[in-house]
Amino acid sequence: MYVIIAGCNRVGASLVKKLSEEGYDVAIIDRNESNFSKLGNGSNCKTVTGIPIDEDVLKEAGIEGADAMAAVTNDDNTNIMVSQIAYKLYHIPMVITQINDPEKQKVLADTGIKIVCPTALTMNAFFDELNGGKLEV
Amino acid sequence: MIVGGGNVGYYLTKSLSTEKHHIMIIESDYSRCEQIASELGSGHIEVTNGDGTDIECLREAGIYYTDAFVAVTGHDQNNLIACQLAKKCFGVKQTISRVKNPKNIRVFKKLGVNSVVSSTEGIARVINQELDLTDINSLFQDRSSSVRLRKIVVGQGSTFEHKCLRDLGLPKGLILIAVLHGNQAVIPNGDTQLEPGDEALLMGSETDILNASSQFKR
Repeated sequence: MYVIIAGCNRVGASLVKKLSEEGYDVAIIDRNESNFSKLGNGSNCKTVTGIPIDEDVLKEAGIEGADAMAAVTNDDNTNIMVSQIAYKLYHIPMVITQINDPEKQKVLADTGIKIVCPTALTMNAFFDELNGGKLEV
Repeated sequence: MIVGGGNVGYYLTKSLSTEKHHIMIIESDYSRCEQIASELGSGHIEVTNGDGTDIECLREAGIYYTDAFVAVTGHDQNNLIACQLAKKCFGVKQTISRVKNPKNIRVFKKLGVNSVVSSTEGIARVINQELDLTDINSLFQDRSSSVRLRKIVVGQGSTFEHKCLRDLGLPKGLILIAVLHGNQAVIPNGDTQLEPGDEALLMGSETDILNASSQFKR
Protein backbone atom coordinates (compact mmCIF):
# COMPACT_ATOMS: atom_id res chain seq x y z
CA MET A 1 0.00 0.00 0.00
CA TYR A 2 1.26 3.43 -0.99
CA VAL A 3 0.03 6.41 1.02
CA ILE A 4 0.55 10.14 0.41
CA ILE A 5 0.29 12.65 3.25
CA ALA A 6 -0.10 16.38 2.52
CA GLY A 7 1.17 18.58 5.37
CA CYS A 8 4.11 17.78 7.63
CA ASN A 9 2.75 19.17 10.88
CA ARG A 10 2.16 17.22 14.11
CA VAL A 11 -0.67 15.19 12.56
CA GLY A 12 1.15 14.54 9.28
CA ALA A 13 4.42 13.56 10.93
CA SER A 14 2.65 11.24 13.41
CA LEU A 15 0.76 9.57 10.57
CA VAL A 16 4.00 8.98 8.69
CA LYS A 17 5.60 7.43 11.75
CA LYS A 18 2.70 5.10 12.46
CA LEU A 19 2.20 4.11 8.82
CA SER A 20 5.90 3.37 8.36
CA GLU A 21 5.92 1.21 11.48
CA GLU A 22 3.03 -0.79 10.09
CA GLY A 23 4.84 -1.36 6.83
CA TYR A 24 3.14 1.09 4.49
CA ASP A 25 5.11 2.97 1.84
CA VAL A 26 4.66 6.65 2.55
CA ALA A 27 5.38 9.97 0.83
CA ILE A 28 4.89 13.32 2.54
CA ILE A 29 4.46 16.75 0.97
CA ASP A 30 5.10 20.09 2.65
CA ARG A 31 5.84 23.55 1.29
CA ASN A 32 8.57 24.12 3.90
CA GLU A 33 11.47 21.73 3.76
CA SER A 34 12.35 22.56 7.38
CA ASN A 35 9.11 20.92 8.53
CA PHE A 36 10.47 17.52 7.54
CA SER A 37 12.70 17.70 10.63
CA LYS A 38 9.53 16.74 12.55
CA LEU A 39 9.85 13.28 11.02
CA GLY A 40 12.92 12.63 13.15
CA ASN A 41 15.99 10.68 12.21
CA GLY A 42 15.77 7.32 10.53
CA SER A 43 12.53 8.00 8.69
CA ASN A 44 12.82 6.50 5.25
CA CYS A 45 9.64 7.95 3.78
CA LYS A 46 9.78 10.01 0.61
CA THR A 47 9.70 13.78 1.21
CA VAL A 48 8.55 16.23 -1.46
CA THR A 49 8.94 19.98 -1.00
CA GLY A 50 6.24 22.01 -2.70
CA ILE A 51 2.70 23.31 -2.61
CA PRO A 52 0.41 20.27 -2.46
CA ILE A 53 -2.23 21.83 -4.75
CA ASP A 54 0.28 21.75 -7.61
CA GLU A 55 -0.21 18.69 -9.83
CA ASP A 56 3.51 18.55 -10.61
CA VAL A 57 4.23 18.27 -6.90
CA LEU A 58 1.57 15.59 -6.46
CA LYS A 59 3.00 13.62 -9.37
CA GLU A 60 6.48 13.85 -7.88
CA ALA A 61 5.02 12.36 -4.69
CA GLY A 62 3.66 9.51 -6.82
CA ILE A 63 -0.04 10.30 -6.89
CA GLU A 64 -0.43 8.22 -10.01
CA GLY A 65 -0.88 4.79 -8.50
CA ALA A 66 -1.21 5.78 -4.83
CA ASP A 67 -3.69 3.76 -2.77
CA ALA A 68 -4.63 6.35 -0.19
CA MET A 69 -4.15 10.01 0.67
CA ALA A 70 -4.56 12.09 3.81
CA ALA A 71 -4.80 15.89 3.44
CA VAL A 72 -3.88 17.32 6.84
CA THR A 73 -2.25 20.72 6.18
CA ASN A 74 -3.20 23.59 8.48
CA ASP A 75 -5.30 25.19 5.73
CA ASP A 76 -8.85 23.87 5.21
CA ASN A 77 -9.07 25.17 1.66
CA THR A 78 -5.81 23.50 0.65
CA ASN A 79 -7.01 20.21 2.15
CA ILE A 80 -10.36 20.39 0.36
CA MET A 81 -8.68 21.15 -2.96
CA VAL A 82 -5.97 18.50 -2.66
CA SER A 83 -8.43 15.80 -1.65
CA GLN A 84 -10.65 16.56 -4.64
CA ILE A 85 -7.70 16.43 -7.04
CA ALA A 86 -6.69 13.07 -5.56
CA TYR A 87 -10.19 11.58 -5.54
CA LYS A 88 -11.79 12.98 -8.66
CA LEU A 89 -8.87 13.49 -11.02
CA TYR A 90 -6.52 10.67 -9.97
CA HIS A 91 -9.20 8.29 -8.66
CA ILE A 92 -7.40 7.41 -5.46
CA PRO A 93 -9.86 5.07 -3.74
CA MET A 94 -9.31 6.24 -0.14
CA VAL A 95 -9.01 9.95 0.54
CA ILE A 96 -9.28 11.46 4.01
CA THR A 97 -9.25 15.19 4.57
CA GLN A 98 -9.04 17.30 7.70
CA ILE A 99 -11.44 20.26 7.83
CA ASN A 100 -11.44 22.46 10.93
CA ASP A 101 -14.48 24.56 10.04
CA PRO A 102 -17.48 22.24 10.57
CA GLU A 103 -19.64 24.26 8.12
CA LYS A 104 -17.14 23.80 5.31
CA GLN A 105 -17.68 20.04 5.29
CA LYS A 106 -20.68 20.77 3.09
CA VAL A 107 -18.39 21.35 0.10
CA LEU A 108 -17.46 17.68 0.11
CA ALA A 109 -20.92 16.31 0.91
CA ASP A 110 -21.88 13.32 -1.28
CA THR A 111 -18.41 13.08 -2.84
CA GLY A 112 -17.10 9.90 -1.16
CA ILE A 113 -14.18 11.78 0.36
CA LYS A 114 -13.87 11.01 4.07
CA ILE A 115 -13.82 14.02 6.39
CA VAL A 116 -12.25 14.41 9.83
CA CYS A 117 -13.27 17.54 11.70
CA PRO A 118 -11.12 18.10 14.83
CA THR A 119 -13.46 20.88 16.01
CA ALA A 120 -16.49 18.59 15.94
CA LEU A 121 -14.54 15.69 17.50
CA THR A 122 -13.38 17.86 20.40
CA MET A 123 -16.87 19.31 20.90
CA ASN A 124 -18.44 15.87 20.93
CA ALA A 125 -15.85 14.47 23.33
CA PHE A 126 -16.35 17.44 25.62
CA PHE A 127 -20.12 17.14 25.72
CA ASP A 128 -19.96 13.36 26.14
CA GLU A 129 -17.81 13.94 29.22
CA LEU A 130 -20.09 16.66 30.54
CA ASN A 131 -23.18 14.52 30.23
CA GLY A 132 -21.40 11.32 31.30
CA GLY A 133 -20.19 13.18 34.38
CA LYS A 134 -23.77 14.25 34.95
CA LEU A 135 -22.90 17.91 35.01
CA GLU A 136 -26.24 19.59 34.52
CA VAL A 137 -26.68 23.20 33.43
CA MET B 1 -20.13 39.17 -5.99
CA ILE B 2 -16.35 39.43 -6.14
CA VAL B 3 -14.11 37.61 -3.65
CA GLY B 4 -10.68 39.22 -3.34
CA GLY B 5 -9.98 42.94 -3.25
CA GLY B 6 -6.38 42.88 -4.48
CA ASN B 7 -5.35 44.52 -7.73
CA VAL B 8 -7.41 42.17 -9.88
CA GLY B 9 -10.55 42.57 -7.77
CA TYR B 10 -10.12 46.31 -7.57
CA TYR B 11 -9.73 46.93 -11.27
CA LEU B 12 -12.39 44.39 -12.15
CA THR B 13 -14.82 46.28 -9.94
CA LYS B 14 -13.74 49.55 -11.46
CA SER B 15 -14.31 48.32 -15.01
CA LEU B 16 -17.66 46.74 -14.18
CA SER B 17 -18.89 49.77 -12.28
CA THR B 18 -19.67 51.65 -15.47
CA GLU B 19 -21.98 48.91 -16.64
CA LYS B 20 -24.67 49.32 -14.03
CA HIS B 21 -23.96 46.13 -12.13
CA HIS B 22 -24.57 45.90 -8.43
CA ILE B 23 -21.26 44.71 -6.97
CA MET B 24 -20.34 43.28 -3.57
CA ILE B 25 -16.61 42.81 -2.91
CA ILE B 26 -15.43 40.52 -0.11
CA GLU B 27 -11.92 41.20 1.15
CA SER B 28 -10.19 39.82 4.25
CA ASP B 29 -7.89 42.78 4.96
CA TYR B 30 -9.74 45.52 6.84
CA SER B 31 -7.64 48.49 5.77
CA ARG B 32 -7.82 47.36 2.15
CA CYS B 33 -11.63 47.26 2.52
CA GLU B 34 -11.64 50.83 3.80
CA GLN B 35 -9.50 51.92 0.89
CA ILE B 36 -11.73 50.24 -1.71
CA ALA B 37 -14.86 51.58 -0.05
CA SER B 38 -13.59 55.14 0.00
CA GLU B 39 -12.37 55.01 -3.60
CA LEU B 40 -15.11 52.98 -5.27
CA GLY B 41 -17.94 52.77 -2.73
CA SER B 42 -21.31 53.97 -3.99
CA GLY B 43 -24.94 52.98 -4.09
CA HIS B 44 -24.15 50.02 -6.29
CA ILE B 45 -20.65 49.06 -5.06
CA GLU B 46 -20.37 47.67 -1.53
CA VAL B 47 -17.53 46.09 0.43
CA THR B 48 -17.68 43.33 3.05
CA ASN B 49 -14.74 42.61 5.35
CA GLY B 50 -14.37 38.87 5.78
CA ASP B 51 -13.26 35.50 4.46
CA GLY B 52 -14.88 34.68 1.12
CA THR B 53 -14.48 30.97 1.83
CA ASP B 54 -16.56 31.20 5.00
CA ILE B 55 -20.21 30.22 4.61
CA GLU B 56 -21.46 32.72 7.19
CA CYS B 57 -19.54 35.55 5.56
CA LEU B 58 -20.95 34.73 2.12
CA ARG B 59 -24.46 34.61 3.56
CA GLU B 60 -24.08 37.98 5.26
CA ALA B 61 -22.69 39.52 2.10
CA GLY B 62 -25.93 38.59 0.35
CA ILE B 63 -24.85 35.67 -1.82
CA TYR B 64 -28.48 34.56 -2.27
CA TYR B 65 -29.03 37.47 -4.65
CA THR B 66 -25.92 36.80 -6.73
CA ASP B 67 -26.14 36.32 -10.50
CA ALA B 68 -22.43 35.86 -11.04
CA PHE B 69 -19.75 34.89 -8.54
CA VAL B 70 -16.12 35.80 -9.24
CA ALA B 71 -13.15 34.62 -7.15
CA VAL B 72 -9.93 36.54 -7.75
CA THR B 73 -7.83 36.17 -4.60
CA GLY B 74 -4.14 35.37 -5.00
CA HIS B 75 -4.57 31.83 -3.71
CA ASP B 76 -5.90 29.17 -6.06
CA GLN B 77 -7.23 26.97 -3.26
CA ASN B 78 -9.27 29.84 -1.79
CA ASN B 79 -10.72 30.71 -5.20
CA LEU B 80 -11.77 27.09 -5.79
CA ILE B 81 -13.42 26.64 -2.40
CA ALA B 82 -15.21 30.01 -2.67
CA CYS B 83 -16.69 28.99 -6.05
CA GLN B 84 -17.64 25.53 -4.79
CA LEU B 85 -19.38 26.96 -1.72
CA ALA B 86 -21.26 29.43 -3.92
CA LYS B 87 -22.45 26.57 -6.12
CA LYS B 88 -23.08 23.82 -3.59
CA CYS B 89 -24.41 25.75 -0.63
CA PHE B 90 -26.11 28.68 -2.31
CA GLY B 91 -26.97 27.45 -5.81
CA VAL B 92 -25.16 30.23 -7.67
CA LYS B 93 -25.27 29.32 -11.36
CA GLN B 94 -22.35 31.27 -12.79
CA THR B 95 -18.95 30.95 -11.10
CA ILE B 96 -15.79 32.48 -12.51
CA SER B 97 -12.33 32.04 -11.05
CA ARG B 98 -8.85 33.32 -11.51
CA VAL B 99 -6.00 30.82 -11.20
CA LYS B 100 -2.35 31.65 -10.69
CA ASN B 101 -1.02 28.24 -11.69
CA PRO B 102 -2.16 27.65 -15.30
CA LYS B 103 -2.28 23.90 -14.64
CA ASN B 104 -5.19 24.54 -12.34
CA ILE B 105 -7.40 25.60 -15.26
CA ARG B 106 -8.08 21.93 -15.97
CA VAL B 107 -8.50 21.10 -12.28
CA PHE B 108 -10.99 23.90 -11.66
CA LYS B 109 -13.07 23.02 -14.71
CA LYS B 110 -13.22 19.37 -13.66
CA LEU B 111 -14.27 20.41 -10.18
CA GLY B 112 -17.21 22.45 -11.43
CA VAL B 113 -16.09 26.06 -11.84
CA ASN B 114 -17.83 27.48 -14.94
CA SER B 115 -15.12 29.79 -16.26
CA VAL B 116 -11.45 29.80 -15.37
CA VAL B 117 -9.06 32.60 -16.22
CA SER B 118 -5.29 32.56 -15.93
CA SER B 119 -3.32 35.70 -16.62
CA THR B 120 -0.11 33.69 -16.44
CA GLU B 121 -1.36 31.41 -19.16
CA GLY B 122 -2.46 34.35 -21.27
CA ILE B 123 0.94 35.97 -21.02
CA ALA B 124 2.76 32.66 -21.54
CA ARG B 125 0.74 32.10 -24.69
CA VAL B 126 1.73 35.51 -25.99
CA ILE B 127 5.37 34.74 -25.29
CA ASN B 128 5.12 31.34 -26.95
CA GLN B 129 3.67 32.93 -30.04
CA GLU B 130 7.00 34.74 -30.10
CA LEU B 131 5.37 38.06 -30.25
CA ASP B 132 8.24 40.46 -29.96
CA LEU B 133 8.50 42.18 -26.61
CA THR B 134 8.60 45.52 -28.38
CA ASP B 135 5.11 44.82 -29.69
CA ILE B 136 3.86 44.25 -26.14
CA ASN B 137 5.60 47.37 -24.96
CA SER B 138 4.07 49.43 -27.71
CA LEU B 139 0.73 48.04 -26.55
CA PHE B 140 1.41 49.49 -23.10
CA GLN B 141 2.66 52.75 -24.58
CA ASP B 142 -0.51 53.10 -26.63
CA ARG B 143 -2.37 53.13 -23.35
CA SER B 144 0.07 55.82 -22.16
CA SER B 145 1.14 53.60 -19.29
CA SER B 146 4.55 53.48 -17.68
CA VAL B 147 4.47 49.65 -17.56
CA ARG B 148 7.21 47.84 -19.46
CA LEU B 149 8.04 44.21 -20.15
CA ARG B 150 11.74 43.32 -20.26
CA LYS B 151 13.76 40.16 -20.59
CA ILE B 152 16.92 40.09 -18.48
CA VAL B 153 19.55 37.38 -18.43
CA VAL B 154 20.81 36.36 -15.00
CA GLY B 155 24.56 36.94 -15.07
CA GLN B 156 27.32 34.73 -13.73
CA GLY B 157 28.07 35.94 -10.18
CA SER B 158 24.89 38.00 -10.01
CA THR B 159 23.71 38.90 -6.51
CA PHE B 160 20.50 37.01 -7.31
CA GLU B 161 22.27 33.80 -8.32
CA HIS B 162 20.98 30.63 -6.51
CA LYS B 163 18.64 32.75 -4.39
CA CYS B 164 14.93 32.12 -3.78
CA LEU B 165 12.66 34.69 -5.35
CA ARG B 166 11.17 35.69 -2.02
CA ASP B 167 14.61 36.67 -0.74
CA LEU B 168 15.48 38.95 -3.65
CA GLY B 169 13.68 41.95 -2.16
CA LEU B 170 12.19 43.02 -5.48
CA PRO B 171 10.07 46.19 -5.19
CA LYS B 172 6.29 45.74 -4.88
CA GLY B 173 5.35 47.04 -8.32
CA LEU B 174 7.82 44.79 -10.11
CA ILE B 175 6.57 41.40 -11.21
CA LEU B 176 8.67 38.45 -12.35
CA ILE B 177 6.32 36.84 -14.84
CA ALA B 178 8.34 33.89 -16.02
CA VAL B 179 11.78 32.37 -15.80
CA LEU B 180 13.05 30.83 -19.02
CA HIS B 181 15.40 28.03 -18.03
CA GLY B 182 16.87 26.28 -21.06
CA ASN B 183 13.85 25.49 -23.19
CA GLN B 184 11.56 25.41 -20.17
CA ALA B 185 9.34 28.31 -19.09
CA VAL B 186 8.78 28.28 -15.34
CA ILE B 187 5.99 30.25 -13.71
CA PRO B 188 7.83 31.43 -10.62
CA ASN B 189 6.77 31.36 -6.99
CA GLY B 190 8.59 32.43 -3.83
CA ASP B 191 10.68 29.26 -3.83
CA THR B 192 11.88 29.60 -7.42
CA GLN B 193 15.66 29.93 -7.67
CA LEU B 194 17.50 31.86 -10.34
CA GLU B 195 20.49 30.27 -12.03
CA PRO B 196 23.09 31.98 -14.20
CA GLY B 197 21.95 31.95 -17.82
CA ASP B 198 18.24 31.97 -16.92
CA GLU B 199 16.16 34.59 -18.66
CA ALA B 200 13.82 36.53 -16.40
CA LEU B 201 10.73 38.24 -17.81
CA LEU B 202 10.04 41.30 -15.73
CA MET B 203 7.07 43.60 -15.78
CA GLY B 204 6.96 46.92 -13.98
CA SER B 205 7.93 50.56 -14.25
CA GLU B 206 10.99 51.47 -16.31
CA THR B 207 12.78 52.69 -13.17
CA ASP B 208 12.11 49.53 -11.15
CA ILE B 209 13.25 47.34 -14.04
CA LEU B 210 16.44 49.37 -14.51
CA ASN B 211 17.29 49.19 -10.80
CA ALA B 212 16.69 45.45 -10.69
CA SER B 213 18.53 44.72 -13.92
CA SER B 214 21.85 45.88 -12.50
CA GLN B 215 21.46 43.29 -9.73
CA PHE B 216 20.46 40.58 -12.18
CA LYS B 217 23.55 41.16 -14.26
CA ARG B 218 26.21 41.80 -11.65
